[in-house]
Amino acid sequence: MVPEVNSYKTDLWVDWCPGCGNFGILTAVTKALEELKLEPSRTVIVSGIGCSGKIAHFVNVNGVHTLHGRAIPFAMGIKLANPDLTVIVHGGDGDLLSIGGAHFVALGRRNLDVVVVMHDNGVYGLTKGQASPTLQLGVKTKSLAKTNIQQPVNPILLALASGYTFVARGYALDVNHLKEIFKKAITHRGAAFVDVLQPCVTFNDVLTADYYRKRIHKLEDEGGWDPLVKDIDDRRSKLFKAIEKGLEWDSKIYTGIFYLDNSVMAFEERLSERLSRYPLRNPSNSKIVADNSRPIIGSDNFEKIFKDFVVYVRKGG
Amino acid sequence: MELNEVSLILGGAQGSGLEASMLILSRALAYGGYGVIADREYYSNITGRHSYIHMNVSATNIPRSLRYPVNLLAAMDSESIFTHFNDVANGGVIIYDRGVDGKRISDVPSMEDALKLRVLKHLQDLNIESDVASILTYLEKERRITRVGVDFTRWLRMLASKFELQPRVLSRYVSGIIVVTTALILGLDLEYVKYGFEAQFGNRKEIVKENLYLMDLIKEDLNQYGGLLQIKKPTINSDKVMLATGNDFVAIGKIVAGVRYQSYYPITPAADESFLLEKFEVIEYDGDVIGPIIVMQTEDEIAAITSAMGASLTGSRSSTATSGPGFDLMVEGLSWAGMNEVPIVITYYQRGGPSTGQPTRGSQSDLFNAAFSAHGEFARVVLSSGDHLEAFYDTVNAFNIAERYQVPVIHLLDKFLANSLATVPVPDLSKVTIDRGFTSNGGKDYKRFDLNHKISPRAFLGTLNTVMWYSGDEHDEYGHIVEDPENRISMYSKRIEKLQIIESEVPEEIKLRLYGEGSPDYLIVGWGSVKGVALDALDELRKAGYRGMYLDMKMLYPFPKKEFLKVISGVDPSRVIAVEHSYNVSISDLISMSTNVKIVKKVAKFTGRPMVLNEFVEAIIKLLTSKEEYKVLRYGA
Ligand SMILES: Cc1ncc(C[n+]2csc(CCOP(=O)(O)OP(=O)(O)O)c2C)c(N)n1
Ligand code: SF4
Ligand SMILES: [Mg+2]
Repeated sequence: MVPEVNSYKTDLWVDWCPGCGNFGILTAVTKALEELKLEPSRTVIVSGIGCSGKIAHFVNVNGVHTLHGRAIPFAMGIKLANPDLTVIVHGGDGDLLSIGGAHFVALGRRNLDVVVVMHDNGVYGLTKGQASPTLQLGVKTKSLAKTNIQQPVNPILLALASGYTFVARGYALDVNHLKEIFKKAITHRGAAFVDVLQPCVTFNDVLTADYYRKRIHKLEDEGGWDPLVKDIDDRRSKLFKAIEKGLEWDSKIYTGIFYLDNSVMAFEERLSERLSRYPLRNPSNSKIVADNSRPIIGSDNFEKIFKDFVVYVRKGG
Repeated sequence: MELNEVSLILGGAQGSGLEASMLILSRALAYGGYGVIADREYYSNITGRHSYIHMNVSATNIPRSLRYPVNLLAAMDSESIFTHFNDVANGGVIIYDRGVDGKRISDVPSMEDALKLRVLKHLQDLNIESDVASILTYLEKERRITRVGVDFTRWLRMLASKFELQPRVLSRYVSGIIVVTTALILGLDLEYVKYGFEAQFGNRKEIVKENLYLMDLIKEDLNQYGGLLQIKKPTINSDKVMLATGNDFVAIGKIVAGVRYQSYYPITPAADESFLLEKFEVIEYDGDVIGPIIVMQTEDEIAAITSAMGASLTGSRSSTATSGPGFDLMVEGLSWAGMNEVPIVITYYQRGGPSTGQPTRGSQSDLFNAAFSAHGEFARVVLSSGDHLEAFYDTVNAFNIAERYQVPVIHLLDKFLANSLATVPVPDLSKVTIDRGFTSNGGKDYKRFDLNHKISPRAFLGTLNTVMWYSGDEHDEYGHIVEDPENRISMYSKRIEKLQIIESEVPEEIKLRLYGEGSPDYLIVGWGSVKGVALDALDELRKAGYRGMYLDMKMLYPFPKKEFLKVISGVDPSRVIAVEHSYNVSISDLISMSTNVKIVKKVAKFTGRPMVLNEFVEAIIKLLTSKEEYKVLRYGA
């Protein structure tokens, strides 16, 4: 059941501030799902807490709006248990890189087939504008009482270091470009990360649309840009190139795909080497009840299965 | 005189193979038809600190508790003698390595100063030098304790030359020496020990052979000691038993219950459960496979509980296992489970707190943490288990309750149960059922939180033609955020009021169990692993003329008020004693806040060591015969 065009949006009133970059992300995501014809019942958006987290309610696919920082582990449980589902995480920069930083790194290490979309606005939107972990050192956005004295973490470099095999950046106000990135991220097999530059019109008066317009360059507009790792020997040089572009910020901010590596086994594949019949047979579809509400392990096979724990007392005395 | 029952301690340094000794000896005893319970006491340390196994072996029944003094101490090192010599009964036996005869307490760096000073003081009072030989001579003279000094090194050397073994591997065979020597002294048929080695080492036939060679050597050398503490021929009539720890029984229970996703972050004493589950990830059986069970070692306990919830939303039975520090990290997740009515099982093995506390020691001090942690009000269930077999059934019950009522269930256990090894009857699988609760096939207008039902029909993520939402924010029937006050009242009440349904529907035997004689003149109330010692105490006290009962509170939350009040109604409140491994004996507070019944007499123990029979019985008698209200137990090294 693929919905009609546009029905990938729920009819809820979207309660972001007018002009918020999140609207662009919402449009890009719904369009991407629509163009990929993803079945809503087989798609799950898992979000964290923040302005960004509300997106799970605005998209007409399954939505799991979780805890601050924990969307990734929720998504992992969903994806591992039912690998048929397309699982997309949406979180804020505070959500994913501060309180949820450990999960962000762990997902990369696992290369689980999940997409992580980071609404990167440099602030904690929903708690009224405190500095987020991507806010540059020495910057004072309007709701900060004092200048930010913490250094930012570079999301692109962190994703690369963690092992994400698809690393990209998009811009919330370039919806078509962002949509294309989303489509590639979703179809990528493995952990995909999309850093979305998202102007927060209410609290971030530094990273504005104007700021970005002056600086954004598309990687694909650079002559000969090719992020795809051809083989294992190619990995190192592609990684270096991605890091080099990822380091740029002050005068040039790159969007597009920084890094793409299809040569790393996805976590599901690693698991299937250990678990016979996985992912076909998986936690969500494997049988646990026999007839009459009995467990499938019963009197007939219990002792055989757990024979290491059964001691048959010697005969005679 | 033959003994019905033998208590023993096997002592040695952590990492020296004590656990192997325990397993081999227990297997041998189980095979011979004896009942065994073995508690493992150890430091939070990998190598070198003193650890010991405290065992109780019975020819007549399956033992339920530990006793002091012990009949036999098998000491791998001098520290074991310094630490435990005073725990050996008159007429008992100490097996030790003759090589340590000259060791003094001051030569043992691993021993903590406080204990050294206590022992030195004691030796001073007895007017004995602080070396092994002096202590053993004293024990022999004054307390008729036989010292069986053996020459570990000579046997090991002979073994090495016979099988051309490298010197560095020889220490591995000490555990076998301890087993064989102990078995000889108990007068066991060495066929049992042979079985023990074979069961322990399985296909590693060489190791079995080497140990059997040692067995012959030892038998020849120690012939004179054979049957020194002769244990009776067993009269327990069963042709098979299970020999497993509490961790094992929970894991087996989860497998039977159909767990399909288990997450964990390593922590004592919970991690062993996940290791075992991992071994059973896929069970190949009759050309089919059971499973898979995905066992995920997550980056922390927050990911453990949240990923388990994610898996649960897809319809797989999901759980996690932890102890206090990990549970604390899970608490925000617990609140989400309450808000979103997610069936999930948290197996919570208590250990000594606060903070890292006593990481490898036992405790029951987290009752309130399990029952009341997490913000907001919501339904949860806390179950406890009194022994290994109960732990198995309760694990299945936990999943059934979680799914039937769509709530998080905390299965509250402790280190004593988790790490102790016991012979247990094979569970009766005909008693086990699986209840998946009220499920739904979804559909176009599916509402996950449908208010037409007290427990909404649950469709799983991925159900055909069905879309649903979950949110930690207050939500409407679809799962979308709504802050409307009327909706808040309906949703909030619905979630909490499941507690009443649970209280009325859960069968009494899951809620509480009563043991002992009717119209008692005293009643002990406890929960979890104190059951064994409490039941044995009833028997001991009966011999002393007291007629008592033990009330085992199994479902701690929601507290089964009605059933509790029924039990307590006929009993004089001043003859009720609450027991718990904690300082506060919180069960009495839980009872008082739930039922207004005030229990003032309490037995507490918070050393991290389990309550043992002798001190327990003494405390109960004291509380019954005096004005004292609070006894703190302290026995055990
Ligand atoms: C454990 C916890 N701590 C704090 C909060 C409060 N809180 C809500 S949203 C938020 C920050 C949101 O910032 P970000 O993740 O960048 O999302 P944005 O609103 O900018 O999209 C915080 C700290 C919370 N919900 N949970
Ligand atoms: S506060 Fe910022 S991020 Fe949040 S909705 Fe408003 S503009 Fe968007
Ligand atoms: Mg933000």
